[in-house]
Amino acid sequence: MAAAVDQSKYQLTYLDVDRTAQRVMAPAGLKYWLWVAFCAFLVAVGGSFWTRQIYEGLGVTGYGQPTLWAVYITDFVFWVGIAHSGTLISAVLFLFRTRWRTAVYRCAETMTVFAVLTAGLFPIVHLGRPWFFYWLCPYPNERYLQPDFRSPLTWDFFAISTYLTTSTLFLSMGLIPDIANQRDIATGWRKKFYTVLACGWQGTDRQWRNFSMAYLLLAGFATPLVLSVHSVVSWDFATMQTPGMHSTIFAPYFVAGAIFSGCGLVLTLIIPMRKWLHIEDLVTIWHLDSLSKVVLLTSLVITYSYSTEVFMVWYAQDPIEIMTFHQRFFGAQGYLFGGMVLCNCLIPLLLFSPSIRTNTIWLFIISIFVNIGMWLERFVLIAGSLSTATIPTQWKFYVPKATEVFITIASFGWFLMNFSLFAKFLPIVSMTELKEGIGWLRKSGRNTYPYRKAA
Amino acid sequence: MSGDIELVGVFATDDQCAHAVEKLHHAPIRGFHTFSPFPSEKIAEAVDEVREWGRSPVRKFVLCGGITGAISGLVLTVGTSWEWNLNTGGRPIASIAPYIVIIFEMMILFGVLGAVSSFFFKSGLPSFEPSSGYRTRFGADRFGLVVRVADGDVAKIETLMREAGAEEVVREAA
Repeated sequence: MAAAVDQSKYQLTYLDVDRTAQRVMAPAGLKYWLWVAFCAFLVAVGGSFWTRQIYEGLGVTGYGQPTLWAVYITDFVFWVGIAHSGTLISAVLFLFRTRWRTAVYRCAETMTVFAVLTAGLFPIVHLGRPWFFYWLCPYPNERYLQPDFRSPLTWDFFAISTYLTTSTLFLSMGLIPDIANQRDIATGWRKKFYTVLACGWQGTDRQWRNFSMAYLLLAGFATPLVLSVHSVVSWDFATMQTPGMHSTIFAPYFVAGAIFSGCGLVLTLIIPMRKWLHIEDLVTIWHLDSLSKVVLLTSLVITYSYSTEVFMVWYAQDPIEIMTFHQRFFGAQGYLFGGMVLCNCLIPLLLFSPSIRTNTIWLFIISIFVNIGMWLERFVLIAGSLSTATIPTQWKFYVPKATEVFITIASFGWFLMNFSLFAKFLPIVSMTELKEGIGWLRKSGRNTYPYRKAA
Repeated sequence: MSGDIELVGVFATDDQCAHAVEKLHHAPIRGFHTFSPFPSEKIAEAVDEVREWGRSPVRKFVLCGGITGAISGLVLTVGTSWEWNLNTGGRPIASIAPYIVIIFEMMILFGVLGAVSSFFFKSGLPSFEPSSGYRTRFGADRFGLVVRVADGDVAKIETLMREAGAEEVVREAA
């Protein structure tokens, strides 16, 4: 069968994959370092605002009764959500043997690790006395009293730290064969760097056998983990009595939202990246099209969840819940809800059109709206619900101040700086899996070649 | 068996490499190892047939890790609750349902650590001594088969590898 296939139609070879990766990881130019410096500048600005907040207290923010959870917790949930699509693409789609994941999964997985790192900072930023963040760790106080293991905040500590460890190990393990490949090609300090990181990997049958099993089991662990982590994050809110938050639908609703926002950010990152790094041959329109279908599907799930949430409020006829939702739709900050519905439910419907799904400019614009919409969703849910809690005389709409705004912007700078550095020094596309994909295509004798650049 | 010669076969595809391994199986020769730039199911199946390794031992480490993690989670939550009998609103001292979250996360954490550590341990990593017969091409675009043979069998095995489709077969002192 394989011998009968016309090999001439396959434009990409194993060596092409190596060459492309080598080109991407070549020493960076001035533009790249200016970009990294810009991101570092954003981090420095955010850091200075945080320093002021530590020095003067949370009074420098817009926080105040009744809204004591707002932008920082919104940022935390947003970044945790971003992380989830990476695990979906790398682990869940790996278990289903989905072929299109090969070109984008490393990017998504890297995004996961840095997004969790970013998310992990926000509960600390949120604290009035951040130097006591370690009180969440499971160790006893001076009276041998442990943290309350019934508390969702303690669950969060366990879930997020497990998730960070698992996703970092999953990413690192997958990198080993690719780093070994770079070790064999590189020269100078890079060769020494990759030699250490590759740990002596040579791709023997014994190594691949153990690698494949460990990778499969890691994917098997990561799949329920990704569901549990965002469920735990959702229970931070759902276990509260606050109207607008106290809902059993939150766990699946948050998971779907996480995948939606994460796939949106993968598109936001990968579309310019494939252009700037000239990796259009590896990350093709076919991959973007497949990814945008996931965005569309999860957008529909989100829309269904919003509808169910409203239906449940109407069906339960609880006056306080009805009042909260009335405020959410038509209150002083109702425009945020409108923006959220526009970005998360209406604009993604454009992805039903194949011509939009295969147009990188449209995809990029839609992905930006998805990111904005999902951030707004968390803000509406957290700050909106707390602003209009049970007693109307205590209602007070939260408005962020410069401190929260700049720390939020800094989180994007922090994330993008780490991501950019990773992309330059380590393989941002999985060479191993791309080669495996080429082998699969050749053997299957396909007439179409999805790795080719779209006409 | 003197075992003083190593033959390094270079193959363009994993099919050819797997075919050569199958031929070695019938020869019968077991002293070999393969190199490949990606995990090839064909090579893995052919090698398994010869060595009868069965499934990777990584599974057992993961199972042990998962069980250890779950027990640790149970001991941490229930044990510490019982150590300090703090009655909060008449709720059970040890509330199993909320503790399941902690137990689950610790099971995953220890299972994952078991998977990664056993992968390194069972694969002989880290090791900075290159395996015999390794070529940088085996990490890029070629598949390798390294066979340790007695002097008298060299010609036979070389022919066997060429028949399977080897692009080149190199003799090296073992």
